[in-house]
Amino acid sequence: MNSDSTAVFVVDDDASVRHSLESLLRSVGHLVQSFESTEALLAAERPDLPACLVLDVRLRGRSGLEFVSDPSFAALALPVVFVTAHGDIPMSVTAMKAGAIEFLTKPFRDQDLLDAVHRGLALDRHRRAEASALAEIAAREATLTAREREVMALVAEGRLNKQIAAELGLSEMTVKVHRAQVMRKMQAGSLPELVRLADRLEAESRKA
Amino acid sequence: MQTTLEEPVDRLFLPSSSPVDRGQRRRAFALLLLLVGALAATAPYATIALTGTGILLPAYATAVLVTDLMTAILLVGVFTVERSPAVLLLASGYLFAGLTVVPWALTFPGAFAPDGLLGGGLQSTAAIAAVRRLGFPLCILGYALMARPGSARGTWRGPVPSAVAASIAAVFLLAVAVSWLALAEQGLLPALMTSRSQASALWDLVPGAAVLLCLAGLILLWRRGRCVLDLWLMVVLCSLLIEILLLAGLSGGRFSLGWWAGRLYGLIAASVVLLVLLSETTILQGRLARSIAAERRGREARLSTLEALSASIAHEVNQPLSSMVTNADAAVRWLDRSPPDLAEVRAALSRIAEDGHRAGRIVESTRATLRRGRRERQPLEVNALLGHVAARWRDDLELDRVSLRLRLAETLPPVAGDPVQLEQVLCNLVGNALEALRGVDDRVRSVEIASAPEGERAVLISVSDNGPGFGPADGERIFEPFFTTKPDGLGMGLMFCRSVIEAHGGRLWAEPGAPGARFRFTLPAESGPVAEAGR
Repeated sequence: MNSDSTAVFVVDDDASVRHSLESLLRSVGHLVQSFESTEALLAAERPDLPACLVLDVRLRGRSGLEFVSDPSFAALALPVVFVTAHGDIPMSVTAMKAGAIEFLTKPFRDQDLLDAVHRGLALDRHRRAEASALAEIAAREATLTAREREVMALVAEGRLNKQIAAELGLSEMTVKVHRAQVMRKMQAGSLPELVRLADRLEAESRKA
Repeated sequence: MQTTLEEPVDRLFLPSSSPVDRGQRRRAFALLLLLVGALAATAPYATIALTGTGILLPAYATAVLVTDLMTAILLVGVFTVERSPAVLLLASGYLFAGLTVVPWALTFPGAFAPDGLLGGGLQSTAAIAAVRRLGFPLCILGYALMARPGSARGTWRGPVPSAVAASIAAVFLLAVAVSWLALAEQGLLPALMTSRSQASALWDLVPGAAVLLCLAGLILLWRRGRCVLDLWLMVVLCSLLIEILLLAGLSGGRFSLGWWAGRLYGLIAASVVLLVLLSETTILQGRLARSIAAERRGREARLSTLEALSASIAHEVNQPLSSMVTNADAAVRWLDRSPPDLAEVRAALSRIAEDGHRAGRIVESTRATLRRGRRERQPLEVNALLGHVAARWRDDLELDRVSLRLRLAETLPPVAGDPVQLEQVLCNLVGNALEALRGVDDRVRSVEIASAPEGERAVLISVSDNGPGFGPADGERIFEPFFTTKPDGLGMGLMFCRSVIEAHGGRLWAEPGAPGARFRFTLPAESGPVAEAGR
């Protein structure tokens, strides 16, 4: 399986449960870090890898459910697999609403946990890939001049060179030059590709 | 008696089978003294004639009829529960006495009419009186001779309604036959009266025979095991004896003072059993209501303890169980690798063994909680136990920036206890304190564990924190099962703690601190020489 390129964090206040989970996850090749409380997880230095969190609901300090609705957790942006010794339906509904991958009742089947962790990791890997792709596009955009940005925005809206020239008060020739620059700097091979890149940036800026 | 064990418990409450207590014997004796005293007081004036009092006779007869019938009905009720033929015979006796009082009063000269109603002659009333006088003691004698109520032989096996119906019918027929004989066949009657108010010498045989019957009944009842009904029947027989004495020996004939006093004793004799049955029923009903309430309370308590117990077992055992399953799964996966990682397998297996021991300890201590009093106790040094608990929690306390203070008394008597359970109690209390302190940011969080001698024969242990404490209304509620102030607490911890401490003969309570909460409990010192017990 995916070797050291992924990390799994385990938070459970019961040391023996913690060790058993650690061993199980290591046996399939995950890099595992375990903590006895969510505070310890937040305080620890975590590797920058695709990761997943296995979280006990009942903890000595703040409970797992409280933790995932906290802003400090949102900053972690980790997929969560919940485990609990006494799960009831309301509890699992709360957990799933909070965005949990899975809600497992102890004792659970190892394959269920590993599958859930696997899904979590895939999700995180995808999220990270998305994020890094976006960062790359944003870096390309950063090299554009203000005028080039204006031109790109209008091109993405589907305007013709003539219209852009009229709108910006430029000659059609100048617009063509700017447009070529935009295509080169954004590394877009075609007009549709440039439109897609511009859309993603637009979507991201709306989200922020 | 071997059958007593098989008897249903409800029989024990019936007056015909419940044993006599001292209070009842005293009451019966007091009534008897009162009756004899009244006899002594009336005896000198017994011969005074009270002419014209004949009109009171119907009232007297009605009272006797009503009390006899009611007693008979209540006794039939006892019979339907207990199925004792002796009780049914007694009921028949009361019924007969009640029914025959009707023709007796109707034919009584000077009561309803100067010569009596129904066309009775001089001997009619006396003949009915003689049958009543002898019949009733005969029934009591029969009751005393028959097998004890509640015993195997003394239980009617046949259908109850038909037995009751047959008895009532027989008594009715007998009463009608006696009345008919006394009224229609007056020629066959013996000469019991010489005039309307004076009895003949032959009459003297009737009270004589009645006295013999009463005495025989008294002796039999006295010798037999005395149930409540037996005791009061003895009082009935005594008042009947007094009645006979007054009517036959002391009085100056019909409607004299002694005669009326005798009638009064007859009324008392008729109503004693009725009153006893009524009061016993009322008392029984009260007792029953109380015991039902107690039973319900007990069942509720048992139920909640059971629920609490099962929840705590599920809570405590599930952790090691889950850990064992995961460890076993991990071990299989380490084995399946090529090459197998035997060091990891070994580690996982030894963790499984540890978890197994841990689950075993939990089960053992749960069983110990159930098996109160038979727990394995050993002499314990309280301070050592507190030190051990403090060491266990040190890391957690440091992690939460809580300062721990141990304030231990220098000399303490050793206590006897289960170290595992007491440690669980202390861990529970310290854990609660820690949890309470999590939200405290404006002062140094601190927990204090203290020990002190409590009098000569006990040790006082307290766990206090300076957290938010509990509300004034929650001081006692926090010990109830499933009461919790934590968002996902079970509400089991403190209830468990209290039951453990109380099983050790101590007491656990909560006090508000300033600020915070303080939990204190006492443990009785181990009995034995205090000086030698220190280790």
